Amino acid sequence: MIPSPEGRPEETDMELINRWRAGDGRAATRLVGRHSQALARFAASAGERDGIEELVQDTFVRAFASLDSFRGESSLRTWLFTIERRLMLDRRRSERRSRETVPVEEADHVSEYGALDGLIAEEAQEKVSKSLDALSPTQREVFTLRVQQGLSYKEIAEVVGSTEGAARVHYHNAIQTVKEFLKDE
Amino acid sequence: MNKCTDSNIQEMLPDLLHRTLAEGERLRVEKHIASCESCQEDLDVLRTVKDAAVFAPSIDVDRVVRQILPYQTIIPETERPATKRPVSTRMVSWLVAASLALVALGGGSVLLQSKGGTVVRSSENQRTPSTVAKVPETSKPSAPESVVAVLPPAQTTVAPRPHALALAAEADGLSDGSLVQLMNDMDTFDALPGSEPDPVLSVDSGDSI
Repeated sequence: MIPSPEGRPEETDMELINRWRAGDGRAATRLVGRHSQALARFAASAGERDGIEELVQDTFVRAFASLDSFRGESSLRTWLFTIERRLMLDRRRSERRSRETVPVEEADHVSEYGALDGLIAEEAQEKVSKSLDALSPTQREVFTLRVQQGLSYKEIAEVVGSTEGAARVHYHNAIQTVKEFLKDE
Repeated sequence: MNKCTDSNIQEMLPDLLHRTLAEGERLRVEKHIASCESCQEDLDVLRTVKDAAVFAPSIDVDRVVRQILPYQTIIPETERPATKRPVSTRMVSWLVAASLALVALGGGSVLLQSKGGTVVRSSENQRTPSTVAKVPETSKPSAPESVVAVLPPAQTTVAPRPHALALAAEADGLSDGSLVQLMNDMDTFDALPGSEPDPVLSVDSGDSI
């Protein structure tokens, strides 16, 4: 048990998973409520613009369907990020394929890493969005997972299928790029 | 502004933002930041990036949960309770059960008929299908087991079963005196034939006897 903001003990993810396996549907609601916004933020910061809610929904549906394969060696949130990332990659691949079949002028305005464009209104946040656009896809994932989600390098390596050392390098390169970009703006 | 050379501190800046540092580490990082412009700048950048993430759309939790199947329907069929078999499987089971019941009934009736035949044979009379047909209409019973009771003594026998031994059929036709004579003669039979029996098959021609 971990303490909740209200002071009463809050069930861990594993305890909720076991309750859901025992047939308690409310446990699923608690788990989704606990992690859905983090998944939405990760999707938005990773460049997803449309259908973020569907993406989060698909992530949970897949995760619950294969919860027996979750051993609890990493945190549930890290595992959910891994699933969501795979779904995003699948989605981008299929988008790329469909874009290849439509006229170029129609596809031009679609940007894989258009990111937060439609989501961030304020000037400072627009700058952040553009600075993230300047990163490579992997740098961007590592940087947002580290800064926005607070994951450790070990967890990040697990999500992006890399090593801790590579994740550190990506983070350092990313923060230099973002810093330079914001300074120039 | 000089670039900070303490990569260990730099790496912990996101953890400081997320308040996941242990007390001792937090104090060490904060002390470093107080005197390091580069790290102050990094921390500002990180804070801006972190705050920018709040603009993700809000998720309707109930809508998501409605799409999640209950655990009991997700687990493999082999692990499900036996009560949840599909309709087709249950139909096959019923058909098998009905077939077995029919076979059992058929076997039972054959057994009953066989027992009835034994009782009838005990009257030491013969009955052939033709003799059964000769039963007068007026004396025909409604139930098969009562046939034996109402038939005249001369007609209450059953035909020899097809698989019965020929010797048995022959013995049935003998009188008591002939049977006694046959039994006496059997005492004088040799256990083994005195010579080799004649061949039953000609190897050369391939003809049968």
